[in-house]
Amino acid sequence: MANENKNNSSYRVYLFVFFSVLLLALSAWVVWDDEFGLRPWKKYQQEYKSLKHDKLEKDYKRAVVEFQRAGGHRKLADLEAKLKKAEDVFNSKETQEKYARVNKQLTDIHEQVVQNQKELRDLRGQFLESEYYFTKTQKQEYKAKMDGLQRKIDVNLLRGTELQKKEEPLKLSLSEFTSAKAAILAEIENMKNGLEEKKERIANNDKVPVDIKQIHIKDVDRADRCQSCHIGIDGKSQVSLKQPFTRHPASFVYLDHHDPSKFGCTFCHRGQGRATTSAEKAHGKVKHWDEPMLDGDMTQTSCLNCHGDIKGLRGAETIMKSTELIKKYGCYSCHKIPGYETVGDVGPVLTEVGTKVNYSWAVSWLLDPKKYFSTARMPKFFFTQDQAESIADYLFSMSGTTRHDADYTKATPNDKLVEQGKALWAQARCNLCHTTGGRGGNHIKVYAPDLSKVGSKVNKEWMFRWIKNPNAYFPGTKMPRFRFTDEEIRGLVEYIVKEYQDDEAEMKYVQPVEIKAASIKKGKELIQQYGCYGCHKLQGMEEMVQVAPSLKQQGVTFLRSNEMREKIGTELSSIGSKPVDMLDFGKLKKSIPNDRLSYIKQKLRDPRSYRLGLRMPDFRLAESEVNELASVLYGFTDANVPTRFLVPSRQELDRMAGVPSYKFTGDFAKVIADVKCTNCHAIRGIGADYAPDLSVAGSKLQESWIRSFLANPDVIRPLLQQMPKLGLSQGKPVAKVTMPRFNLGKQNVEDTNRSDVDVVINFFQQELVTSDIPKEVPKITTVDMTEQISKGKQLYDEKGCRACHQVGMDGGALGPNLSNVGNRLNSGFIFKHLENARKFKPDIVEPDYGFSERERIYLTNFLMTLKLTAK
Amino acid sequence: MKNLTDITDKVKKNLIWKSIFRRDYRNTVRDRAMAVFGNVFLHLHPVQVRESAVKLRFTWGMGGITFFAFIILVITGVVLMFYYHPSVDQAYTDIKDLEFQVPYGVILRNLHRWGAHFMVIVVMIHMFRVFMTGSYKAPRQFNWGIGVFLLVLTFLLSFTGYLTPWDQLGFWAITVGTNMGAATPLLGYQGPFSELLHITPYNDVRFALLGGAQVAGNALLRSYIWHCVAIPLVATILMLVHFWRVRKDGGISKPQK
Repeated sequence: MANENKNNSSYRVYLFVFFSVLLLALSAWVVWDDEFGLRPWKKYQQEYKSLKHDKLEKDYKRAVVEFQRAGGHRKLADLEAKLKKAEDVFNSKETQEKYARVNKQLTDIHEQVVQNQKELRDLRGQFLESEYYFTKTQKQEYKAKMDGLQRKIDVNLLRGTELQKKEEPLKLSLSEFTSAKAAILAEIENMKNGLEEKKERIANNDKVPVDIKQIHIKDVDRADRCQSCHIGIDGKSQVSLKQPFTRHPASFVYLDHHDPSKFGCTFCHRGQGRATTSAEKAHGKVKHWDEPMLDGDMTQTSCLNCHGDIKGLRGAETIMKSTELIKKYGCYSCHKIPGYETVGDVGPVLTEVGTKVNYSWAVSWLLDPKKYFSTARMPKFFFTQDQAESIADYLFSMSGTTRHDADYTKATPNDKLVEQGKALWAQARCNLCHTTGGRGGNHIKVYAPDLSKVGSKVNKEWMFRWIKNPNAYFPGTKMPRFRFTDEEIRGLVEYIVKEYQDDEAEMKYVQPVEIKAASIKKGKELIQQYGCYGCHKLQGMEEMVQVAPSLKQQGVTFLRSNEMREKIGTELSSIGSKPVDMLDFGKLKKSIPNDRLSYIKQKLRDPRSYRLGLRMPDFRLAESEVNELASVLYGFTDANVPTRFLVPSRQELDRMAGVPSYKFTGDFAKVIADVKCTNCHAIRGIGADYAPDLSVAGSKLQESWIRSFLANPDVIRPLLQQMPKLGLSQGKPVAKVTMPRFNLGKQNVEDTNRSDVDVVINFFQQELVTSDIPKEVPKITTVDMTEQISKGKQLYDEKGCRACHQVGMDGGALGPNLSNVGNRLNSGFIFKHLENARKFKPDIVEPDYGFSERERIYLTNFLMTLKLTAK
Repeated sequence: MKNLTDITDKVKKNLIWKSIFRRDYRNTVRDRAMAVFGNVFLHLHPVQVRESAVKLRFTWGMGGITFFAFIILVITGVVLMFYYHPSVDQAYTDIKDLEFQVPYGVILRNLHRWGAHFMVIVVMIHMFRVFMTGSYKAPRQFNWGIGVFLLVLTFLLSFTGYLTPWDQLGFWAITVGTNMGAATPLLGYQGPFSELLHITPYNDVRFALLGGAQVAGNALLRSYIWHCVAIPLVATILMLVHFWRVRKDGGISKPQK
């Protein structure tokens, strides 16, 4: 028994020892892991420090070599010798005696000065005392005392000034003794300084402690520790190109405007700012962290967090381009998206579509818009033939028409009319907006429909009415009214219908067929289900009358307007921060990565792939468009951003300040509603950037020039923006395009007796002016005008203006042609433009030559002489 | 050797030593007993136990291990409280900071978390053993009853601690758990007779647990107080009774002869 017990206990001892050792080892591992394993940034910081040390040392050594190569050491030796000599001179017995003598004099005088000041203080004290008693008692004895003291004070002050006068030269002569030495010392210091500073930097770098670097944004309790590893991200110079040590790319755009110590990193880059234990965790690329880090251009999506208006924002070019897609495809029509509440319908008005298009065309378009033309923006809804016909039936019945097609292939047009129409087609520059089978369509952002098959789509009567007055059919359309005569329009219609026929078009209903009520009802249901009303105007009380009376009896009415205006899609205002758990991956749960970006991209690529019964149509986006749109949507967040970060858009600022946003009023509003100037030009923040901004055009352009330009844009070439851009700035090079002629000046503006050109000119001169630009260049009376002009010409030649600008046949093509600038621009504008061109066009390439005012006047006077005489 | 006795004399023969240890210790039965009597921590334990009672094969030592887990949880829990704010804005980031920034935060939190799971498992094994060995029978019926309460308290500690990180897991666990309360007869507004008794979402047991009608800041604060103060206090008192009764009911249970 005892024996067994003993054996047993020795075995237990081994077990005990084993577990004790295990516990000790584990404890040691815990300590090691906490110190190093979980703190990988320590290693990075050490490495960065040594890299920086090497770099600074290299700098220092190079500086030393340069110093020596430039003979620095010899100079230094010379200086030191000089210093020695100067010291010897100073220390010589003779000098020392003189020095002591002057010094003694100075000390004596200084003592007197001190004594004098003490006396003055004393006197002033007594004076104040007497003054106090005098004001209190009004006794004359105090007054007399005060007068006596005042006299004494005056004497004292005089003596003080005299002493000072004596002191000054003594001080000067004293410093003369040491000045030579001091100058040499300063020079030596100066020479050594650069080197010493570099040496000091090395020492300072070595002293930098290794510790966690954190940016804490208090009001939202956000702690970003990214810099613990990315230690050189906001450094002044690049220490290493190795990650994580590099500097922030383009930091002059991003970091300079977003001080990292105030903004941190994760507001823009997302990721897990608090994590420090591994790169994957810190970058948020781990399970259960919904916000993986954004890098590259994708980061620009974060600009949308704070910037209300990213148009023209430097560093946000990619996202800015991508936001165009939202407008292009009209995402806001079905989804609520902040900032797009007031944007108009993306599709055309369909209230009277039955009077416009062929029934067969409408059905084929509903089935597959891209079959008609490949760049169609309308998505595919995957309707069956039956469904498409029902929808078309509904739309046609609302227009009060039947199923009908107009076939013009067999008609024989009037050749003379067609010829005239063809000429007008070219002259009116229809191709500027409308493509015809891949040609034309330079102005992309108006998204004008392709016309290559339009002859088989619409009927002639409608086309005539349309060109005559587009607003009548589609209020708010981008199509301008060209003010053609009826004869001209007829020719244009004949030409278009003849030229642009679709050979493959089916015409099943050349003989009209009545529409069945059941089909209309089904069509209405489909329209409600798929929300066609999101993009197209379908309803309105005034159209009620157009429902055929027979159909009204069968119970078909228009949809209620509030019913139609509801958005049928999911709200997208915070899709970029929606928890991943709330996204329904459905069938694809296991086949695509379960993160937000993948979800959005898949939805855009194939909208109905997650499960059955989804309604979103297929836009058949290119992969590049999918990526761009996804990056924009990713930026729509409800991120907790401190209000001090927010940069409201101009409109928001105006609203907050109570400033009404700019609106066109009066007769000019009527002209602009007709001619649609803002399709291309921007005026006071309204409009597009396709053509020059006209906000200060009244100050800039001469009236006579505007007049002749509007009358005939082809003859006097508008020389503003039509040079090829040569790819120097963002965007596609703009081909040579001129403004279409809108035939202004032939008619009066509605309800007035003023010609439309007069109205435009009046508006330019009343509204589009700024007090920043004087009407005229300032005059110099002292110099003769001819001399001024010749001096201006000299400057023009000297500064090499002709490298970019053309005058006559001579000069470059980068800047505007200046041959006729004297007729085009106001002299005041040229004068101001030469001072600061960027004020008027921030992205202008013109260099700043830093002209003096006089030079600018000379140059302006010279430029004003450049005039083409009318032939 | 003489030096060593000098040093020990110096250490032992003074007022401080004597005031702490009170008497000399010789390895005799009496002194061993006195050592246990004289120590506040040890005196709950009997001075002597039968050899058969310490056989691991019979008791599995589960009661003692449960108590050991509890002590670890109290110690780590108190340290964790230094780094934690029971507020909606800070709770989750505090947990993140424990993971990433606090010295020894990872081991601290994991000890607490795994220790909690461990305690729940061990306490159930303890109960299983007591049942299988019939140790709940007379004279230990009362102590079995106390044990059942302690089991419930252990579960409640685990449940309330689940919400404190304020993550999705905890949030939904508490949502589900308190909804069960809402569906309980006579206690919750969804249970039977609730209309009869005028029980609404604003006066039922769920409301009491959450401090409101939904899982929010008040629920977090309540579960924190229950977890860190109220339940541990009650559990400690019941544990003292439990241990005391083990002795009074005839010592630790042992195999029948």
